[in-house]
Amino acid sequence: MSTLTLERLNKTYGGNVQAVRGVDLDIADGELIVVVGPSGCGKSTLLRLIAGLEEISDGELCIDGQRVNDSEPAGRDIAMVFQNYALYPHMSVYDNMAYSLKNRRTPKEEIRRRVTETARLLAIDDLLERRPRQLSGGQRQRVAMGRAVVRQPKVFLFDEPLSNLDASLRVQMRQEIRRLQKRLGVTSVYVTHDQVEAMTLADRLVVMNGGRIEQIGTPMTLFNQPATRFVAGFIGSPAMNFIDLAHAEQTPWLPASTPGGALTAGIRPEHLQLVTAGSGDLPGRIEMVEPLGSESLVHVRLGEHDPLLVVRLSGDELPAAEQPTGVAINGPVHLFDSDGRRLP
Amino acid sequence: MATFQRHRAFPWLLLLPQLAIVAIFFFWPAFQALRRSFYVQDAFGLGERFVGLSNYVAVLTSALWQQALVNTLLFSASVALGAMSIALLLATLADRVLRGAKGYRTLLIWPYAVAPAAAGVLWLFLFDPSLGIISRALGSLGIHWNQRLNGGQAMLLVIIASVWQQMSYNFIFFLAGLQSIPASLLESAAIDGAGPWRRFWTITFPLLSPTTFFLLVMNTIYAFFETFGTIDTTTGGGPNNATTTLVYKIYQDGIVGLDLGGSSAQSVILMVLVGLLTLIQFRYVERRVQYY
Ligand SMILES: Nc1ncnc2c1ncn2[C@@H]1O[C@H](COP(=O)(O)OP(=O)(O)O)[C@@H](O)[C@H]1O
Ligand SMILES: [Mg+2]
Repeated sequence: MSTLTLERLNKTYGGNVQAVRGVDLDIADGELIVVVGPSGCGKSTLLRLIAGLEEISDGELCIDGQRVNDSEPAGRDIAMVFQNYALYPHMSVYDNMAYSLKNRRTPKEEIRRRVTETARLLAIDDLLERRPRQLSGGQRQRVAMGRAVVRQPKVFLFDEPLSNLDASLRVQMRQEIRRLQKRLGVTSVYVTHDQVEAMTLADRLVVMNGGRIEQIGTPMTLFNQPATRFVAGFIGSPAMNFIDLAHAEQTPWLPASTPGGALTAGIRPEHLQLVTAGSGDLPGRIEMVEPLGSESLVHVRLGEHDPLLVVRLSGDELPAAEQPTGVAINGPVHLFDSDGRRLP
Repeated sequence: MATFQRHRAFPWLLLLPQLAIVAIFFFWPAFQALRRSFYVQDAFGLGERFVGLSNYVAVLTSALWQQALVNTLLFSASVALGAMSIALLLATLADRVLRGAKGYRTLLIWPYAVAPAAAGVLWLFLFDPSLGIISRALGSLGIHWNQRLNGGQAMLLVIIASVWQQMSYNFIFFLAGLQSIPASLLESAAIDGAGPWRRFWTITFPLLSPTTFFLLVMNTIYAFFETFGTIDTTTGGGPNNATTTLVYKIYQDGIVGLDLGGSSAQSVILMVLVGLLTLIQFRYVERRVQYY
């Protein structure tokens, strides 16, 4: 099957917008890579570079070890699922799926066989005669998937394919995409800005920020050992708490081995707990309580000018607001230097 | 609901100016033409005599009218096809360089602002047998150009002038149509292995078909009726009636030749002909239009 290698990949739009900067990425055969990052960080651009829809400004792109920088999109044997699905509105579902095969002069009989087979796999076999506008959002999504699958390409690319669906459908399709990808074993790059989607789908996650890769790793690695403050803040919900320390060596709740100077400490909300006022590691005052049913989020103000600390409480204990409280740390504390890099 | 019913007369009041204009400038003259086509008028316009269908028989059996019909069909098909295909080509090119499209668009709209008669004169200058730039260039290539003597060349000249006039109108519509096709469709087709040529014919062209159909109807009507000024200033229908179209012949027979009955019969026939043509377009061509 296929591997994908990106080496120092750069894309500059119109001479000054650096959308992708020095991206290095090795994707193994059959792997599902999820690229995640805030809007505008260059995720779509990265996909379009791989697909051949944008010219690579600098660097090298290889599929199966073959340099494809200068190949046309058609020559790369890649299938892409677009955010708006990009179904051909004037063609039936059948013709939408058959289009790429017709372009490749596949025999008619084989086209029929493959389209029917794929349609059955995706449970859209009773929609084949319909036009895209006669389909619901979820059905369109399936057709877009079917159009990619029927090709049996070397690589699948997904650009936020679920962002136009409602929440419950999104969860369902997420699982189906995962199952389908594992079953077909096609190397895939999946782009999303939704970190939950990213965590649940990925074999390995790539976190991007401002055109650069911040970190590559399994979802659990990124969650437990974020390499940068950005990754720490981006992965996990609710987001990690950050406390800026001017003199780390004077902070009693940090280990003695901590280097001195200005540092940022990061603690996940689930690694904090409330204790009676006057005890614990940090004194504060409860500002707001958000009950979410199975858990609640408590916002604690430490000092006048400090940001709010979020504490995640499991169960249905609901502390009263506007009360002084103590906060105890009962989990790992992540430390980042002034450039946002993780300290070991 | 109550408010709608209370003002039942109001919508009609709003429509009144439009209805009045249609009645005064279309239905009344059309009725006049229809009535006159059954009469013969004397030379001084003082008396008239009912002659039944004999005006129609005279028109349909006249060799000159038949030639005008052939001229019109040839002329209209060439103008519609020429003006539409050149406009589509230019719009496709403009669509590729979207940022340049604005200046390009303004440039191409200009011909539409030129009056048909002025456009005719302009092309007449360019093709003037002794002074025109183009006829001289053609002469140096060994082609002897003289639209005053050569009927085929005269026809070509009025076609070129009319195509040039109508092109900008078509261009604007085609460009708007092209820009409303999402880029992701063409990108998806490219990934699906379709080259530029195939992408155009399997994606762009079908998605443009509502625009194309609309323009086909508009161009046919333009070529039939609105090219009168162009023909009158460039060739005056000549040489030897080679560029006399049906509309031009109505003008010649009715206004110049003062045969009101005959030219009225021609107008009625022309109206029926264009109505029929439009009907055919809607019946048979529109079926292939992709309204999605
Ligand atoms: N065609 C383009 N021309 C100029 N700048 C672009 C173009 N496409 C994207 N950009 C810029 O590149 C950056 C990355 O965009 P994109 O890859 O779409 O981000 P994402 O998909 O992560 O939201 C953005 O700053 C965007 O404005
Ligand atoms: Mg994007």
